[in-house]
Amino acid sequence: MNHFAFEARSVSRSFGVVQALKDVSIGIRPGEIHALIGENGAGKSTLMNIFCGKLQPSEGELFRNGAKVSFHAPIDAQRAGVAITPQEVNLVPNLSVAENIMLGAHLTRGIAIDWRATRKAAIDHLHTVDDTIDPRVPVSTLSKAHQQLVQIARAAATDAKILIFDEPTAALTYRETEKLYAYLNAFRAAGGSAFYISHRLDEILDLSDRISVLRDGRFVGELDPSQASKDDMVRMMAGRLVGKGNAAPRLMPDGAETVLKVSSLTRRGEFENVSFELRKGEILGVSGLVGSGRTEVAKCIFGLTRSDAGDIELYGRPSGIGAPADAIRQGLVYLPEERKQEGIFPLLSIAENMALPNLGRFRGIARMRSGEMFAEVQRLVSDLKIKIGHPRDRITSLSGGNQQKVIIGRWLMKNSRILIMDEPTRGIDVAAKFEIQRQLRMLTESTGLSIIFISSELEEVLDVSDRILVMHEGKVKGIFPAGEATQESLLQAAMS
Amino acid sequence: MTAESHSAAPATTFRPRPGLVARFWRWEASGILVALIALVVVLSLSTDNFLSSYNMSVVARQAAFVGLVALGQTLVLLVGGIDLSVGAAAGLSAIVGSLLLTMFGVHPYLVIPLTMAFGLMLGLINGAFIAGLRLNPFIVTLATWEIFAGMTLVITKGYPIRPLGETFAVFGKGEILGVPVPVVIFLAAGIILIWMLTQTRLGRNIFAVGGNRDAAVLAGIRVKYVELTAFALAGMFAALAGILFASRMDAGQPSVGEGWLMGAITAAILGGTSLRGGQGSIVGTMLGALLLAVLANGTVLLNVSGFWQRVIVGCVVLIAVLVDLFRRRD
Repeated sequence: MNHFAFEARSVSRSFGVVQALKDVSIGIRPGEIHALIGENGAGKSTLMNIFCGKLQPSEGELFRNGAKVSFHAPIDAQRAGVAITPQEVNLVPNLSVAENIMLGAHLTRGIAIDWRATRKAAIDHLHTVDDTIDPRVPVSTLSKAHQQLVQIARAAATDAKILIFDEPTAALTYRETEKLYAYLNAFRAAGGSAFYISHRLDEILDLSDRISVLRDGRFVGELDPSQASKDDMVRMMAGRLVGKGNAAPRLMPDGAETVLKVSSLTRRGEFENVSFELRKGEILGVSGLVGSGRTEVAKCIFGLTRSDAGDIELYGRPSGIGAPADAIRQGLVYLPEERKQEGIFPLLSIAENMALPNLGRFRGIARMRSGEMFAEVQRLVSDLKIKIGHPRDRITSLSGGNQQKVIIGRWLMKNSRILIMDEPTRGIDVAAKFEIQRQLRMLTESTGLSIIFISSELEEVLDVSDRILVMHEGKVKGIFPAGEATQESLLQAAMS
Repeated sequence: MTAESHSAAPATTFRPRPGLVARFWRWEASGILVALIALVVVLSLSTDNFLSSYNMSVVARQAAFVGLVALGQTLVLLVGGIDLSVGAAAGLSAIVGSLLLTMFGVHPYLVIPLTMAFGLMLGLINGAFIAGLRLNPFIVTLATWEIFAGMTLVITKGYPIRPLGETFAVFGKGEILGVPVPVVIFLAAGIILIWMLTQTRLGRNIFAVGGNRDAAVLAGIRVKYVELTAFALAGMFAALAGILFASRMDAGQPSVGEGWLMGAITAAILGGTSLRGGQGSIVGTMLGALLLAVLANGTVLLNVSGFWQRVIVGCVVLIAVLVDLFRRRD
């Protein structure tokens, strides 16, 4: 039975007192796509970091084609033919696409770099993934999705026979995902082996030959994708049944108050003639490819950029938003796509992260009325069911889903009435995602909060929204009641 | 994955390469070049002797000393570090070199490489703490700055070491085809570094480490070795500048290198090198050093009080930063 191309036997890893991996044994055969699923914190990333040489196991051993190997650094793993495309795009922004692909592996003639050969090799590797990216431009000028594709080309360029994909599609949309699939299928056909981590269960069922499930740092079992259902996967990951977020789609009565009205909004080169209305208590899903202009519209409404034409009305009056501060004052808030970079203050506590824009409310004569502030934080923590240790703990001690809830709490504390959420559940595990979706539904019903929910995941948009707006290449392609829309109809609308 | 099957020409045609002007403007050293040319034009019109060959060699020599230190500093800035000890390392190296010459009777031609090796060692000390132990470069080099400067005083007790002799003076005072020797060395060092940064793996890895350290680690680059090399070379170039200056003065003075730190950082920044690492160029730094020397020279020629010189340099740096800001907004 032992013809694994790569194998881990009884691998454990602890960080201080935290045991991230316990006695995990897992192997991959040549020409196999082996999916790895588990909730956040289940140990998937730790295991993959051990495979690619970034971390060393506390116990246990790795085997390549049956021979014991030990990786002290990523270069050791690469020499053994193991490479990773990490979850977060990890490229050198100022260097060209071509140079990023060949990073650390420039072809040389003597001691000097052979630039012609290096560029040609880079382009060849890039073309195995995508042929629309200009190899000469700096990576910083590319979209997130294209950067992700370059990252994949980078891994391909190491000529690794074992590739690790950690959430490769998190930043991709349909078109780029198709390219990734094509690449993966070719890679598998050529005898390559891939570990594949994703929160998108459909994708895993489509793509993988075998599914391994991790929970709380332990290997809990294996599933056969040809037999397993998504419910099986979710149950095994969570160790319990998880309710989905999709309540029946609601229909806003025609009389419901319009809180936000966007008319013929245009910003040259980004989007044109965007019109829609958002009603009180409604969740409006926005679906579209990366580059469809969805984030750009959100930023424009929020006052981060200026429109060239069109009007924005808030609560029936011209909004007059010139900067984000104006928008926030009127109760309209944008929760950005990059939670780590734009959403949280990593060095501050949970309480401070939640209270920061609201500190004025707790100002005493000479000092902060921190008792009141903590009471308010506590109230929101329990309302939103945020799992925390203590409000004074750093926000980085929380999982992604709970961090996102802290940010939602921040704006509820500010009495915001309209939230624009850009990919709010990216990189958050399934259970936490359903939980957030359910919370959002409840909030809209109980407080009359209105939400614009931007997501690349069709399924999620269908689950959470009341109506769905489809964007493509900067234009609105239609607005559909969620009850009548399907994944297929939304895709068709986007492409037509 | 075999690459051969994909080696055909790109299927897609990309945006054409931008025009010459656009490319020039995008180049990080474009601003400094324009400023330098403007300054040279103004000074040659408003003074009689700016363009005289004597004055040119004075300016170039002045640029060479700080410029050599700035070259090393640029490497350190490119990997995302900073070296505050370069001036003190130059001073200490100059003293050690002078002692080699006077006390130990080392042949004058051997003194230069030996002193450079000593500077390399000082840089390795910085690098060992910073790359090896991952300590903050600002703090480590702040400490070694004090140590190097203090050692200089301990060794010399504050007195210069002189004379260094006729043969040795060639390196500081001599000329090759009318060009001062320090200037020739500065230009040669610049050319070697330009080649190193654009044509060797080490050079490209310096940009990669400074641009995104994590990505560099994942790409299998020996990041610590790259960082160590940058700091070691910074020490080496500082030592070279220090010993050349001692040769020029015919004395190993304890004050060698004072004021070179700020000049070196200023030259690099004027030349478009980013303090965040990963961005910058040797040509920019060389032009930056030249601009500082021309400014200093210009204030003298125009009879502006020497006290104003620092005010002017500060303003030029601010203008350079503003120009860079607008260029990036584009």
